[in-house]
Amino acid sequence: MSHTVKHSTDTGRPARASRSTRAPQGRRAVADRRPTRRSARSPRSGAASPGMLRPVAAVFVAAVFFLPLYLIVVNVFKPGPDIVPHPFAVPLPPTFANITAVLSRPDHLFWYGLVNSIEVTALSITVTTMISAMLGHYLARSTSIWARATLVAMLCGLMIPPAVILTPITQVLGSLGLMTTVVGLVLVNIGYYVPFGVFVFIGFVKGVPLDLEEAANLDGASTLRTFWQIVFPLLRPATASVMIFLGVWVWNDFLNPLIILGPDTGTTVTVGIYRAIGEHQTDFGAEFALMFLATLPVLVFYVAFQKHFVKGLTGGATKG
Amino acid sequence: MTSNLDAARARRSRLGATARRLGTFSAFGAPGLVLYTTFVLVPVALTIYYSLTNQNPFNPPTRFVGLANYIRLASDDDFLRALRNTALVTGIIVVTANLGGLLIALLLDRRGWLYNALRSVFFTPVVLSSVVVSVIWRAILTDDGLLNSMLRSLGVTHPPGWLSDPNLALFTLAWILTWQMVGFCVVVYLAGLQGVPVELHEAASIDGAHGLARFRHVTWPMLAPALTINTVMLLITGFKVYDQVQVITNGGPGNGTTSTIAFQVVQTAFSGNHVGYASAMATVMLLLVASVSVIVLRVLQRREVSM
Repeated sequence: MSHTVKHSTDTGRPARASRSTRAPQGRRAVADRRPTRRSARSPRSGAASPGMLRPVAAVFVAAVFFLPLYLIVVNVFKPGPDIVPHPFAVPLPPTFANITAVLSRPDHLFWYGLVNSIEVTALSITVTTMISAMLGHYLARSTSIWARATLVAMLCGLMIPPAVILTPITQVLGSLGLMTTVVGLVLVNIGYYVPFGVFVFIGFVKGVPLDLEEAANLDGASTLRTFWQIVFPLLRPATASVMIFLGVWVWNDFLNPLIILGPDTGTTVTVGIYRAIGEHQTDFGAEFALMFLATLPVLVFYVAFQKHFVKGLTGGATKG
Repeated sequence: MTSNLDAARARRSRLGATARRLGTFSAFGAPGLVLYTTFVLVPVALTIYYSLTNQNPFNPPTRFVGLANYIRLASDDDFLRALRNTALVTGIIVVTANLGGLLIALLLDRRGWLYNALRSVFFTPVVLSSVVVSVIWRAILTDDGLLNSMLRSLGVTHPPGWLSDPNLALFTLAWILTWQMVGFCVVVYLAGLQGVPVELHEAASIDGAHGLARFRHVTWPMLAPALTINTVMLLITGFKVYDQVQVITNGGPGNGTTSTIAFQVVQTAFSGNHVGYASAMATVMLLLVASVSVIVLRVLQRREVSM
């Protein structure tokens, strides 16, 4: 931040400098000065058309990219027979027939799926976050060679494709009597996603001063209490990242719920979409409405926590 | 006497320390490690073990068959085709999603609400389930789907069978994967671009480097970490492609023209019940993912350091 201020005053443009120092992050503020500079150098009349070119091109590319999603959203609110002849038309007036049809299906596919999805997702992300925060803390504070070895074993776990271990997982679950149960699926999710959580938390735990924990211990707090009352609240950004990514992954998961829950226990909404498409191959209205409803929670979640997604992803990208 | 007492006290305190360490471990370390071991490490070990047997739950007894499964794999056309398909799809998406992501990121590398909003647009498919993405594209690309209906109304009498032409279906699949993953690359490249110090650009323009030359010698080297992240992520995504195949093509059209290794493993294990044989495929897949990821990570990280 201070760097930006100094640099801008050097160039003798205090007005611009104050604008760029209002940016939330120093690095962004520096990057933002690039276009300003360029346009300042070129004559005003020439700057207008290339200046417009970029936003127009960007909006155009994004619009083309977004077309498939646009098709879904508009056609959810269109009468079924109108979809194929006029796929791009805006639905005026909109009909909610497709949505009510999905909500009132006689087999309750959507509602049963929704209950399962919420159960599985809520349990999986809560327990995974707690367990991996503790394990991450333990491994970050431990200096033994076993901790190192464990870390390497977990790193390998991040790369294992679920299909590779699915057969033996069903056997392990079967021998525990947990096959075709929500609890079984939740346990599998926890085991599979713990490495991800551990890696996010380790980085953050290393930023928490050890003195803080030792002070709490001297005051008589147990190790567990120190962790939950002192350390865990300081890990909030990591907790947010882990819960958000896990939430999306678990909600969207297909193969594990398909095989582990099986047809008996019902499905999650994601598997429900797959189950439903076989029935009415050409009824795009019903298909889109189910998809729309199943995806709505994820989209709301995404819009609400957008910043965390970007932050969580880009932590490693700027290290160089 | 006193020394005996001291020794006893020392032993007791040592015991106490050990007990405390054990307590901390069982509270903090054990739950995660037990679940990880039970549902990842044990299944991996079982997969490797089964791959050496003729395990089939509906055809006991299970016998140890050594490397027979692996020898059979080497001449199994279905498996080799799945292997080739997986390699092709992975290779395509590594190139297309990286390149598309980079171009879009360069286009969006400005500040303001517009560019933030557009970045979110490109990232949206990343948070969607691959089942949803598959159903969307299936609705668009099936023979009587939205795209071909539109093409017919524009006068194209025989529009391409995007998903029904055996020579085309695999590329269509790669396109769908690219569409879903490109937003990930955009976000990572944008972060990389915004980390390029402005001094570097200034120095380069003083030295007379513009346009392509500046990109080649200033921007691109600074994006090395972003390239590493994207490439590894795309490799892992490509190797494990399953959902899209299951939902869109079910391995077809024809005989396994879009079958991938993951699809082949699940089919063989759950539809064919040839658990031993499927485990051998899974083991090969595991080795492939691990070795390719490690090699690529090493190469790209060495490149980051040297640049």
